[in-house]
Amino acid sequence: MNDAQINQTTAESLSAAQNPKVREKRPIDILRERHGGMSPEMKEYYKEQTRIKQLLKEALARGAKTVPELARECGLEPSVTMWNLMAMRRYGKVVEEELRGEYYAYRLKEVK
Amino acid sequence: MDEFKKRYDGLVIGGGIAGMQAALDLAEQDYEVLLIEKDPSIGGVMIGLNKVFPTLDCSSCICTPRMAESVHHKNIKIQAYSEVTSIRRHDPGFKVTVRKKPRYVIEDKCIGCSQCELECPVDVPHEFDHGLGARRAIYIPHGNAIPQVATLDVDHCTFCGRCAKVCPTQCVDYTQEAEDVEVDVGAVIVTTGLNITPMDAKKEYGGGHLINVMNPLAMEAIQASNGPFGRPLRPSDGKVPRTIAYVQCAGSRDHTIGIPYCSRVCCMYALKQALLLRHYLHDVEITLYHMDIRAFGKGYEQFYRRVMNEGVNIVKGKVAKITEVENQDLLLRVERLDEGGRLEERRYDLVVLSQGLVPAWQGKGVLDIELGDDGFFKSISPKISPVLTSAEGIFVAGVAAGPKDIPDAIVEAGAAAMEAAIHLEGIGYREQVLTASQS
Repeated sequence: MNDAQINQTTAESLSAAQNPKVREKRPIDILRERHGGMSPEMKEYYKEQTRIKQLLKEALARGAKTVPELARECGLEPSVTMWNLMAMRRYGKVVEEELRGEYYAYRLKEVK
Repeated sequence: MDEFKKRYDGLVIGGGIAGMQAALDLAEQDYEVLLIEKDPSIGGVMIGLNKVFPTLDCSSCICTPRMAESVHHKNIKIQAYSEVTSIRRHDPGFKVTVRKKPRYVIEDKCIGCSQCELECPVDVPHEFDHGLGARRAIYIPHGNAIPQVATLDVDHCTFCGRCAKVCPTQCVDYTQEAEDVEVDVGAVIVTTGLNITPMDAKKEYGGGHLINVMNPLAMEAIQASNGPFGRPLRPSDGKVPRTIAYVQCAGSRDHTIGIPYCSRVCCMYALKQALLLRHYLHDVEITLYHMDIRAFGKGYEQFYRRVMNEGVNIVKGKVAKITEVENQDLLLRVERLDEGGRLEERRYDLVVLSQGLVPAWQGKGVLDIELGDDGFFKSISPKISPVLTSAEGIFVAGVAAGPKDIPDAIVEAGAAAMEAAIHLEGIGYREQVLTASQS
């Protein structure tokens, strides 16, 4: 931390102490500021990932499907479907079902 | 041995199997050792392997006990997620600067419960699975990671703050910053291991942009039952592969890519993977294209014969080109050396490039020791004591010194520990440090 940053942090702490309405920075805000927040690429990546996961969840809610079936139904590239589906599998949102020809089918994991 | 001391007898750079062995062998002689690992966990490449040749033992069943032994040894301090940024000669040993990268997690308070990881909203390609699987922005690298502590990848963080909210021990600390620590050491052992040849080294093979052309470490990951897909599947669409080709010498023994040497392990890991795929996928057809098979170690020739007997096609042929065709299948154009150079084209579901080994680190700006023509750290006495480098007091072991398999890396690590011990006694390191502290 350079002198200017130290002065700024000190000033913020003083103003917070003198005026209870000025909230002290939360640690997550400090981290965000230090790293300049989310990059535009990261914002786009996260937005697109959220959209894909939602599409996959909706398609799987209508029944178990293979990767090519999911890709067709969601209008996604099979490789993108595969990667996101396997991410959902890893974190317990999706489970593998039976083998259908050359592909395994996957379904949403039931939440008890 | 949790606290960071000001002085250690030995510094080991790199926490793979060779580094752990060197640290243990020094520590067992009652020397105090600092082991620095750049990744969040020790274990190196070996902990990411599925099984080892020729015994087909589970790799983590061999590596994990070594990891546990290292971390629990009273004479070893392991500092993971850290890098050595400078080594200066400082009589009687060296002054070393270690940069501790911020995990944004207080290591002593983290209980490895993964609550933060489960709560994190963003999936990121996981380095441990070579990008085939996902991790979260805050994550524990794998089930056998040591230390079993979360690390926040701030480049992929959404700054939502949810990981700190769910942490039962309040160990998430967003205010952490990188910290430089200086220590004195008497000897250095470099065990910084390997990378594989870049996938795009040979453009005609399509590695790096054709999704079903895989690197061998990614194949290790998908063969493991705890791998990214839970079973061997094609990354492009989840198809169970029915035809798989291995292309040998895809990243070594090739002057055109600047890697003329043999990487020594590619034949054996390809044979091992092919055999295991035959076990996992019973009706799979596997063809291994090679210039010649080099099965030089104990039990390796027998293993090679076993693989042939179990139905893997071993073909003497040079793959000239790989192109993607319909359904992201792959068309191989092969010169059949066993049939007088006849050209043939064959279609496969999946292709594995048997990439060679290149040094993971060459010490630029940190270590002033000579490199060989192959880019690995040079031994000044390759026949008599291959662990000696051009700098007195600095030793090298494992793949940092040149391509080798796991048993050879372990043996070399033991030799480096012994040379380091001889050096420490020779210079009277402890006595000199004691004298200096009293004067």
